[in-house]
Amino acid sequence: MTEKMTHTPQQIEQELDHIARVAAVMVDGDACRRIVTPRALEYMFKIDPHDRFLAGDNYDVNDAEFNSAKKTLIRLARLAPFACDVNLWMPITGHPDKIQVVIRNVHELSQFWTFGAIDQEMFPPMRTVLETGKPVTVKQRPGMISVLGPVYDSLGDVAGLVEVVSHSS
Amino acid sequence: MKPPVKTTSHPSRRAFLQTALGALAAEHTVPAWSEAADGPARPGARETRLFALPQFLRPDPMGGIVRADRDAAAADDDFQKGQRLSLECPRGAYASFHLVVQTARPGEYSLDLHWSDRSGKIQTDLYREWFHRLRSGDYYPDALVPVPAPHRSRLPEPDNKIENQTTQAFWVDIWVPPDAAPGDYSGRATLEADGKRRTLTLQLKVLPAVVPAEDVVAMDHNSYDASWIASQFPSRVRATSGNFLESDELFRLIHSYHRVFYENHGVFHQLGYGHAGHVEPEFAPALEGEGRGKRIASWDLYDRHYGPLLDGSAFAQTRRGPKPIPFAYLPINPEWPASWLWWGEPGYEAEFTNVVGEMEKHFRDKGWTQTNFEMFFNHKKRYKGFSWDGDEVRYPKDLSYFTEYGRLLKKALPADTPVRLVFRADVSWDMEQQFRELNGVVNMWTCGGGILSWYKGAPKMLRDRGDIVWYYGSPPRVTQPASAITELVLRAWVWDAMGFVHWLAVQPGKDPWFNFTGGGTTLVYSGDRFGLRDPIPSVRLKIQRNAVQELTLLDSFKAQHGLEALKAEATKQFNGSTPDQWWNPRPAFADKPPYEWTNYELNSATEHTRKLFARVDAAAWNRVRQSILQLAREKQ
Repeated sequence: MTEKMTHTPQQIEQELDHIARVAAVMVDGDACRRIVTPRALEYMFKIDPHDRFLAGDNYDVNDAEFNSAKKTLIRLARLAPFACDVNLWMPITGHPDKIQVVIRNVHELSQFWTFGAIDQEMFPPMRTVLETGKPVTVKQRPGMISVLGPVYDSLGDVAGLVEVVSHSS
Repeated sequence: MKPPVKTTSHPSRRAFLQTALGALAAEHTVPAWSEAADGPARPGARETRLFALPQFLRPDPMGGIVRADRDAAAADDDFQKGQRLSLECPRGAYASFHLVVQTARPGEYSLDLHWSDRSGKIQTDLYREWFHRLRSGDYYPDALVPVPAPHRSRLPEPDNKIENQTTQAFWVDIWVPPDAAPGDYSGRATLEADGKRRTLTLQLKVLPAVVPAEDVVAMDHNSYDASWIASQFPSRVRATSGNFLESDELFRLIHSYHRVFYENHGVFHQLGYGHAGHVEPEFAPALEGEGRGKRIASWDLYDRHYGPLLDGSAFAQTRRGPKPIPFAYLPINPEWPASWLWWGEPGYEAEFTNVVGEMEKHFRDKGWTQTNFEMFFNHKKRYKGFSWDGDEVRYPKDLSYFTEYGRLLKKALPADTPVRLVFRADVSWDMEQQFRELNGVVNMWTCGGGILSWYKGAPKMLRDRGDIVWYYGSPPRVTQPASAITELVLRAWVWDAMGFVHWLAVQPGKDPWFNFTGGGTTLVYSGDRFGLRDPIPSVRLKIQRNAVQELTLLDSFKAQHGLEALKAEATKQFNGSTPDQWWNPRPAFADKPPYEWTNYELNSATEHTRKLFARVDAAAWNRVRQSILQLAREKQ
């Protein structure tokens, strides 16, 4: 649970890394692939010069899969003795250079998400996680630490990743 | 510090939802100056002079009228006769005009203004109009810097930095309190410059009619969190020790924002949480525990923030007097007070009902029973926090969440509570279905103006069942005619809506002073650069205020004249229309599920009103005002 305690950046990083490793076995990659609806994915890359909100207005998720995954992420975040979010990021089939955040959480922390973005250009450290399955620690934004860890499906493939993120002090 | 403000380009309010005038008037081609009629403000040879313009003709810094208002220049024929200005005003209202100083050559000037009023009831506020430089290179006045009379400065104004500026404009507000004696008052404005003295004689006729204290429509001004206050008042942050966002200075400034809107017949809202449920500490009581043990641990920040607003003491020194704010967002969202972890489980209901129940008791104990506390869900699934849209539902499946929250809210509250906790929904695509299916669940509706325009009679239907109904849009940019903002006020009344929401009204942009984007997200400015500790109003806010007070007076005549007849006359005067023409037909595609509608279709469906309002001139409200004053005189 979140408590008011002092932690060094090293301790915080260790906690985040630990949570990312737990997430690798707790988060269901197959179910995560079913969160965003096929219709939303279809509209995500449609371009209409008369409608710049096409992707956002048609964004939709399957409730059951979303809520199940989000509850797991909330539980994971509660392993940390400080304010921490565990966000879910997923690659997009047919668009290997893109990535999308699919679930964010209550502290609204992320080193990667741009407000309002439905999808974003693939970030190199995320590509590394998706390709190697190895966690990556990121400290690109001052005052924040993220550990990116893999999410696996039932075939043992990396289906997506979690961003376990906190303030660094 | 909190993250930077992230709401300036809020994508949830699309262009098609703007009101018709807002959408097209910005592109309205106005006549070149040479085509406009003669008037006292027509630029001529530079000379030292003092003159007045009606509020709908905004001056420019070279002695002319801004481009957007020029085609109404002919309407000021009777405004100033020679060196005499005659004004007329009901009681409990303001009379306003632009007082314009021009000097023959660069140098110092002095401007004074006073009234002969032995009772001391008539009060005057003088504001220097800041000329904002737009990216187009045009200058428009909007921010109003309060100055004392006499006021001394020089032209060109050093801080406004306009090369060859010949003219400085001042907004004059004359406050006529409800207990002022009807009759004639006189005053004088005096300019001294270049060794010359120019005088303008002011005559004010105070009518017996009194504008009712309750506004006929609530003009609401929305905002998100409080971090923008820190960025707009850097000197106040520097002068504050400790965490500014928990400081008395922050709360003083928040109260000051409420005051500037309240004094100008408006409402101010601040939403205190984000799309994934993060609640800023100053917007909610602190919580502790979880499950059945979850409870409120501290009211400290919340009460410092809201206490003076909810008991009205924050408004003690205002002309309108102390009064509790009529509306306030609650911090309730899917992650507060209950954790989404427990959604669908007994723990969610326990956390929600325990904490909301404690809130109701606290409000009741404090006597905060005149404010509508709003349970409102602002999140959208596109921001990836939750699996359903709280704001502007597009998928009917999401309505089940509203039903459940309605149940939870009812369970949390005593049946006989005197505290007003309302369930507010901001609706667009799916409003027709929501009006029907959430009857008895949602009781405060904020409706997208574009789609609401298809549902003639819907606001009245909602009012008749006891619901509150507003519609929303954006502030018109300064480059639209001066009357643009009054159309929003009039539309609410014509539609039987009870209010209008400017979805964002406190974000003037990075550099509103010299690189202005037009003010489509603000109606107030920071006074910081002028050494002021408070926000300052705008010309558009004042024009809106005057329209509200005059419309409130008009509505008070409905017992004698009938509401529909008054509407017919007002719309006729405004733009030669009828009230029916302020609605659009319900389009055929509205029979399809809302998630199949396209924004192209939505734009097409409001074409009728867009065309109707595309040619509204700057003097449109002035004609309505004159007809209202005529009724007031007849009543006299």
